[in-house]
Amino acid sequence: MNLLPDITQGASSFPLLTLLVAIPAVGGLVCFFLRRHAAACRWLSLISTLVVLALSVVYFVTFSGQGGWLLYEDYPWIERFGIRYTLGLDGISLLMILLTALTQVLAILVSWRRTFELPLFFATILFMEAGILGVFLALDLFLFYLFWEVMVIPMFFLIGVYGHGRRVYAAVKFFLYTMGGSLLMLLGIIALVIIHAGQTGEITFSLPALQGTVLSPETEWWLYGAFLIAFIIKVPLVPFHTWLPDAHTEAPTAGSLDLAGLLLKTGMYGLIRIAFPLFPVAAQASLPFLAVLAIVGIFYAAWIAFAQLDAKRLIAYSSVSHVGLMVLGLCAWNQTAVEGSILQMFNHGITTGALFIMVGMIQHRAHTRDLDSLSGLWAKAPILSAFFLFFALSSLGLPGLNNFVGEILILIGAFQANPWWGILGMAGVVFAAAYTLRLVKETLWGPPDETPEWQDLTPREYIVLVPLAALVLWVGVYPAPFLEPIREPVRLMLEGGIFTALNGGTP
Amino acid sequence: MIVPMSHILAISATMFLMGFACVLAQRNLIMVLIGVEIMLNAVGLTLVGASALWEQVDGQIFVIFLMAMTSAEVSISLALVVYLNRRKHTLEADAFSEMKG
Amino acid sequence: MNPLLLFLILLFPLAAAVVNALLGTRLPRGAVVATAVGGVALSALASFLLWPLAAGEGTRATLYTWMASGDFSAAVEIVYDRISAPMALMVTFVATLIHLYAAGYMEEEKDYARFFALLNLFVFAMLVIVLSDNLLLLFLGWEGVGFCSYGLIGFWYFEERNADAGRKAFLVTRVGDVFLGVALLWLFALTGTLSISQINEAAAGFAPGTLFLLSLLLLGGACGKSAQLPFMTWLPDAMAGPTPVSALIHAATMVTAGVYLLCRLFPLVSLSPEAMAVIALVGVATALYAATCAAAQREIKRVLAYSTMSQVGFMFLAVGIGSVSAALFHLFTHAFFKALLFMGAGCVIHMTAGENDIYRMGGLARRDRLLFWCFLIGALCLAGAPLTSGFFSKDGILVTAFASEVPLHRFLWGAGSFIALLTAFYTFRLLYLVFLGAEKRPVGAHRHHLPGVMRWTLVPLAALALLGGLFDLPPLYGGGHALREWLGPLAGIGPHLPHAVEWLLAGVATSIFLLGWVFAHLRYRIAPAPGESLGARFLLSGWWADRAVYTVVVRPFGSLARFFWKVADGRLIDGSLHTLAEGSNVLGEGLRRLTTGRLHNYLTALGWGGVVMLAWFLAGYLL
Repeated sequence: MNLLPDITQGASSFPLLTLLVAIPAVGGLVCFFLRRHAAACRWLSLISTLVVLALSVVYFVTFSGQGGWLLYEDYPWIERFGIRYTLGLDGISLLMILLTALTQVLAILVSWRRTFELPLFFATILFMEAGILGVFLALDLFLFYLFWEVMVIPMFFLIGVYGHGRRVYAAVKFFLYTMGGSLLMLLGIIALVIIHAGQTGEITFSLPALQGTVLSPETEWWLYGAFLIAFIIKVPLVPFHTWLPDAHTEAPTAGSLDLAGLLLKTGMYGLIRIAFPLFPVAAQASLPFLAVLAIVGIFYAAWIAFAQLDAKRLIAYSSVSHVGLMVLGLCAWNQTAVEGSILQMFNHGITTGALFIMVGMIQHRAHTRDLDSLSGLWAKAPILSAFFLFFALSSLGLPGLNNFVGEILILIGAFQANPWWGILGMAGVVFAAAYTLRLVKETLWGPPDETPEWQDLTPREYIVLVPLAALVLWVGVYPAPFLEPIREPVRLMLEGGIFTALNGGTP
Repeated sequence: MIVPMSHILAISATMFLMGFACVLAQRNLIMVLIGVEIMLNAVGLTLVGASALWEQVDGQIFVIFLMAMTSAEVSISLALVVYLNRRKHTLEADAFSEMKG
Repeated sequence: MNPLLLFLILLFPLAAAVVNALLGTRLPRGAVVATAVGGVALSALASFLLWPLAAGEGTRATLYTWMASGDFSAAVEIVYDRISAPMALMVTFVATLIHLYAAGYMEEEKDYARFFALLNLFVFAMLVIVLSDNLLLLFLGWEGVGFCSYGLIGFWYFEERNADAGRKAFLVTRVGDVFLGVALLWLFALTGTLSISQINEAAAGFAPGTLFLLSLLLLGGACGKSAQLPFMTWLPDAMAGPTPVSALIHAATMVTAGVYLLCRLFPLVSLSPEAMAVIALVGVATALYAATCAAAQREIKRVLAYSTMSQVGFMFLAVGIGSVSAALFHLFTHAFFKALLFMGAGCVIHMTAGENDIYRMGGLARRDRLLFWCFLIGALCLAGAPLTSGFFSKDGILVTAFASEVPLHRFLWGAGSFIALLTAFYTFRLLYLVFLGAEKRPVGAHRHHLPGVMRWTLVPLAALALLGGLFDLPPLYGGGHALREWLGPLAGIGPHLPHAVEWLLAGVATSIFLLGWVFAHLRYRIAPAPGESLGARFLLSGWWADRAVYTVVVRPFGSLARFFWKVADGRLIDGSLHTLAEGSNVLGEGLRRLTTGRLHNYLTALGWGGVVMLAWFLAGYLL
């Protein structure tokens, strides 16, 4: 049986994938040059993100349940170095694309009323969208690296220019951390390409081709280490996580949303798509160590989250704890856990993104995020509070809501791989409950303060929150549509030992 | 060759060092520029000599390029000198230390 | 009948909850209350009409596959069988009465939509536990009741204390949930399914050690929800919620979920005698602990809370000695009389304008006769007065323990009888202090009107409490163990004793009841004053359990959290990064001096550089 898909299957005459990347990039450029026309930029950005969302929903509906490459594009680019412009869409990237498109629409909507340099703000968001979509689609390592950097730079400006308080510190910390990692990755890429060229005489950056490189165990470990560090900084795993709380806290709402919803996912995605397939032996051997880091991270970050005084910082640390569980799922390396892990990437984007949005809304009204100052919000804005409670419950993994589905799949799989992983992961839910309930208690409950009445949700805020809440419930009650696209890719990935479905896409 | 190569090299080396000494010792920007010109000409002389030695015309062509470039360079640097003089009313080289780290 | 109709039992409360949650604030009060009560009542009606489906092997219904991934799959499947059908009927029936009662109790509450939405959602979650045939779905209900009780206990959130009590309930039960969760993972790893019926079938093939550990894990989960040792601290605090909540959650349903879980998985649990012994011991220890605490409490609802804990301990004991029927029988009768007591307590609090302290009540019997008689019936059941339902169900457990051949069980019988004595004592203490004696506090001035719906809902419960013994009347009194017969093979062991011995045990139980009464009479009828001794304070604070938990768990948790944050994250990780950054700063500062901005320094450096290079080449050439 031919498990590997036919490349012609996904090849299309019209560059549907380039369209995804190009729309936000062009939109961003136009915004960049239309600095004086805030209103026009606003609508232009909204429309371009909506078009991307519409496209990704169309792809999602069209390709649901198919295996292999759903769409594939390949053009020569810099031929002297064998660099090609290769984009490919499979089930895993499909889910991530959907998340990205949705998140960016929300990022535009929550920043609708900004005044300071709004066109440039939207331009950075659109450029970032282009970069992130590119990361999720690129199959050429050079292209991947390019998008990887393209995605970081707008975020740097988003934090450094539009952030709160210690924004410059946070932005520089974020930038140095991720740069440190990605330079290692660049070294790794170049070394791999040179080794590969030495073996075959052909210079190429193509991911499927590089998979065939024969590496001595020692070299493999070094190169794998370079990639691994780049990705787990982005994930981030403890102890490489300290950029995240600062970046989240200082970033504007849209920035926090993108960080939590998307940037963290690129790290996980890189592990799945690049690091594990390129260095199967080293990766397989490293899984137990990664699992230990992941479990330490779950508890350590949850513990710190419990002590936080700033709502955004608390959620930021909760993110670190959640990604620990996702990495644990990857380490379990079986169908259930890996599927759960990938689904959890999606869920975490929705839930944590929603929480950040809501903290932004609360901050907009209360002018503080300090948990000691906030109190009794339910009395002042019951609908807003109800949404907040809802997303908080999802975050602590209440069954029937989305995070539970991902968590239980991860834990079921992890228990099969190693019972202690499952047990410890399960124990993490108490910690999750501890900090989440603290967040809810400090904000929603208690006596309301004396400040005048608040406006409850505005129509624009409804537009932002209702789809997220609907998704939370949908994935929680009926996750099949979201599990289906990733089933085949994950199976292919696991069946080839550690090889991914990429083989099918060799140009 | 009428003149031995070693003589040419000796002269151009002397010229180069003299130019360099001028650049180092003079405080005035115009004198520094003159020093630079002398060093350039020393190099040009070497190139001509070498061209004659190898009986290849490339060196002489190169010298013509060099002269063209020098004239361009002199016009720009003199313009700069005029500008600097206007700004600070001095041509003392040490007066312009804005690039201090 | 179409098995899918069974989902109607779940659908009605869920729909009512959704309607009230989404539209509650826009609907008039009448509509909200009608939706809430109607949802639960329809559910009760559905469970009643669908009763035939429970006969024989019962009926299974699957709605859809909840999640499937790899070889894991969990379906939304429910089962209506001999255990779940009476349980569902009881839950919906009691819940209907409590909803009606709540309509009166929450008459003056502004935020009634949230209250009724949560109450309905709670009933839904509880019914999911009851009906589920899949452990994962059961887990949904399990956590669902946890959340609803969180929301309901902290319903009056203006006071931080209430919100804290709700959070405590959620957190402590969640610790228990971890055990259930791990059991769930393990069971799936062992059997490849989470269907309860299939797990029960497969259980016979497990190794004894596995069975023991699994049973302990399940026990851990059950202890969390049922407020058994060592997860009992949340229940007394949970009394911060509105009284209908206490009646519904902390009397009739949620706290019995643990017992129900053990009954559901009894085929698995019963395979490990050691685990059974642990279950019975946990039950007895909790019952003893809670009974001693109840005897010293000052707040009426806390007395009832500890008595609930104690009675649930009896149910655990019943499961531990192997009798599902005795456990379920006590569960049912307890649901009736404890709901009755809580609702009566709600009436008392309402009448005394929010007074909670039993030492400041008294003489209420004269104020409201109907309330007094209803409360008296509930109290007699709790105390185990002969021929009330509580007598039969509690006696059923003790007799079964006595009749067993396991040596431990005889000891448990003794301990249980002693606890029954304590129970009678604290029940009559409550009665004397609240209803008899003189009125301590003139509350006539702002005496509250008691809505009729609050009083009249007590009557059907009182009737059930009084006559509930008929459900499983032993042959000794002319009954035929109806519940036992109905449960059939699922009932577990039953007592087989000569009639003479049974009469003797009944006599012992009666004299224990009378003895407790006499003690209470002597102590509280004659000299009704609170004890101030160290022992009384020890018992009042629940054996200082809260303080112990605070010292051993909560405070170290917080300190460790701050340690990780400030020291590990702040100093160690960020600190070392900052040191690195500082180092490069210092280096840059040093290198900065080299750039003087003076042309001559640069040119000199260039010159020296040329000299060094020339010297290097020359040296290379010469040497």
